[in-house]
Order: sequence, then C-alpha cells, then structure tokens
Amino acid sequence: MEELTTHSELIPSASKDGEALILIIRGEIDLHNSPELRTEMLDLLARHKPQKLILDLARVPYIDSSTLAVFVEALKKVLKTGGKVFLVGLQPRVQGLLEIARLSSIFVICRDTPEAMAK
Amino acid sequence: MIDPTPLRLRITSDPANLAPVRRKIEGFCADCDFDEEAQGQIGLCVNEALANITRHAYKKATDGPVQLDADFSANALKIQIRDWGTGTTPPLRPRPRDPLQPGGVGLVCLRELMDEIRFTPQADGMLLTMERKLN
Repeated sequence: MEELTTHSELIPSASKDGEALILIIRGEIDLHNSPELRTEMLDLLARHKPQKLILDLARVPYIDSSTLAVFVEALKKVLKTGGKVFLVGLQPRVQGLLEIARLSSIFVICRDTPEAMAK
Repeated sequence: MIDPTPLRLRITSDPANLAPVRRKIEGFCADCDFDEEAQGQIGLCVNEALANITRHAYKKATDGPVQLDADFSANALKIQIRDWGTGTTPPLRPRPRDPLQPGGVGLVCLRELMDEIRFTPQADGMLLTMERKLN
C-alpha cells in the first residue's frame, strides 16, 4: 500500500492499494467546505485514476447536498473508466441523506474498507 | 412543558454560518422535545434552505442578509427564513431526478422531512415557512 500526500484536513489520509484509491474523510461537510473536498478529491482522482474509489466516512457525522454532489461528480469520473465508488462506515445522518436523495443505489455501500476491498 | 424561547437569528448568506446555525436550530429542536433523528432532519432542512438562498437568491454572494425565526407552540415548530434576494420561487414539484445529475436534493429534503413548506414571494425577496409537528 502506498501512502499519498493530501492537501486538505478533510482528507487526512489517502492511500493506493492496487487499483483502489482509499480516502479517509473527516469532519462535518457542508457548502462551506465541500468545495475544498471537491478540489482535493478530483485532484487525487486525476492523478491516480482508480478502478475502485473507497471513501471512508466513519469520521464524517454530517454531510449536506453539496457534499453529495461532490461524491456524484467523483462517481461519474470513476464510471468513465468502468470503476466503482464505495462508501464505507456511514453514520446515521449520512445514511439518512443518501436515502432521502435516493442515491444509495448508485454507490456501493459497505461496512468498512476491508469489506469494500474484498468486493 | 413550557414552550422554549423563540429563536431569532440575523445572519448573512456566508456558508460559514451553516454549521453554527445548524447547531442552534438543533439545540432549539431539542428544547422542543424533538428526538435526535428529528433534530438532525430539521437541521438539515435549515442547512439546505440557507444553502439555496446563498446559491440561488444571492447568486453565491456571501453578504446577503438572512433572517431566521423559529417558534414552537401548540406542539408544532414553525421556522421562517426571509431573504432579500432574487425572489424566485422554486418549482412546486421537483423535476424527476437523474441520480447522476446533482441539484434539487435540498428541496427534496424540505418536502420529505417537513410537514409543510411554503414559499411566499415578497416585494423584495422571499419568505420560506417550514412547519413540523412534534409527534
């Protein structure tokens, strides 16, 4: 596994494991800081072009629709190369918004990163 | 239970206000005896309403005035959010959504999580009223 440099406290850790890019995301994310998340995530995607993007959200207690839009934009980029986006460690409020937005089905939802890696 | 003191917030459309306002409205909802799930849902609706004001009513300007009033009486929460932006009324029924096309999720939240929402155009902006009963 290769540790990657990140430039945002919202992504305190990023690593590459084979064709998987694993991002640990941290904090409450809304329209105030979702643009920062977008910039960092799209930069990592452009540099590493993963087949599997794993977003570890265990340390994310809250997101809003602007954050969902960032996840969807990342998904569209990964889909272009036939890949998938995995959301892992969802907290209740994050899970709730995904369900209201009816977006649960376009991502692969997993309990944790090992489960996502095994799929 | 004594009804909690009404909440009056005078803020700007700066997204930096979203988290502190969310916390205040969730605290107010806790004082009204809403459970934790409902507190989060109402906080989310306020977040989405304010974000829409920044994005659409004030076209991303961060210095637009916003007035938020929250009241609780007769077992019902009423939140009114006033802006002095473009005054455009969102569509009554959202368009069918393509999951891969972002946009419109905020309004979906308001419609699904509140009992009632009303956009009342003003001569110089918009008044949004959201209501939710305490079960």
